Amino acid sequence: MATSTKILALAVLAVLPLLMNASTCIGPQVTSNVYTTSEASMSISTVFVVEVAVKCNNGEKDLLLFADVNGHMVPATQSGTGKFQVSWSDEHKKLPAGTYGVRFFDEEGYNAVRKEKRSGTDGSTVTPIFTVNVKHSGTWTGPYVQTEFVATCVALLVWYMAYRSKSFLMS
Amino acid sequence: MKSLFLLVVAFVAVRSDNDDNAARLLASKSILNQFIVEGKELTVEYSIYNVGSSQAYNVELSDSSFPEEDFQRVSGSLNVKWDRLAVGANVSHAVILKPLRPGYANFTAAQVKYYPTEESQAVQVGYTTAPGEAGIVGLKDYERRFSPHIVDWATFAIMTLPSIGFPFLLWYRSKSKYDVKHKKN
Repeated sequence: MATSTKILALAVLAVLPLLMNASTCIGPQVTSNVYTTSEASMSISTVFVVEVAVKCNNGEKDLLLFADVNGHMVPATQSGTGKFQVSWSDEHKKLPAGTYGVRFFDEEGYNAVRKEKRSGTDGSTVTPIFTVNVKHSGTWTGPYVQTEFVATCVALLVWYMAYRSKSFLMS
Repeated sequence: MKSLFLLVVAFVAVRSDNDDNAARLLASKSILNQFIVEGKELTVEYSIYNVGSSQAYNVELSDSSFPEEDFQRVSGSLNVKWDRLAVGANVSHAVILKPLRPGYANFTAAQVKYYPTEESQAVQVGYTTAPGEAGIVGLKDYERRFSPHIVDWATFAIMTLPSIGFPFLLWYRSKSKYDVKHKKN
């Protein structure tokens, strides 16, 4: 009697993962396309756009992705089958030049990160499905020195040298 | 007394119609550019907020106000969807385009479609805010005002060279002759 219930329990446990609707991606092949704001006059805040195309080895089509963007979990938008996009923006000062790692999670990973965050930790121990590195070369806010300023300085320098040699001659 | 009671009932009936445990999405579309220049990037940002009392399902954002012949897509997609949008949550989406022609452009609203509850069959259609009309500056005009003009300054320097260099050459030649004479003495 006890063994039959044990066998039944084991059978249920074995079948359970197949019954769950967990859409995970096994062996993802990712191609990513990244855009970051390059000129400050073209945007009042720095915008990062990450487009990824994901192909799963297990042929998973209904994948739901979430991305960890600067410590903030956002759902990835779907722009086609297997194509996702994550975008975020902030002030120019808050997004300096450098490499930003964007971790992508499926639903399980997302719930795990949320649980960790609720218990106080920052959720960095959960392994993502894949990570995309965003290289931002900084937002150009204009040249350090205006060329008009440089031209004025050169002109003043030339005049000063001439004036000095003239006063030297006259003395 | 009876009329007051009826009034309260009517008021409650009307109020309860709004708090129907459904999602309500507010969407905004904004252009983040300071200047919109032909051939340079145009940054469009969409934000969707769920201010209702239930999750929104199958949220679809589609923007057809950027025809292919006038705007080249640089990054991002104009037709996207989210599976779910939680209560009180907000998502943002950015698209980068490149205007191909100068002139006036009217930026109209994009469309947002969603299901207010899990069981609802009818899709709810809403619109984002519209940024309105804006001018796309031609590239030449923008460069005339904002580029560093390095080539122009270099040309100017070369052009001033004769009027400064010629007297300098004369002075230098006489100075070197005078110095040689002085050394001889």
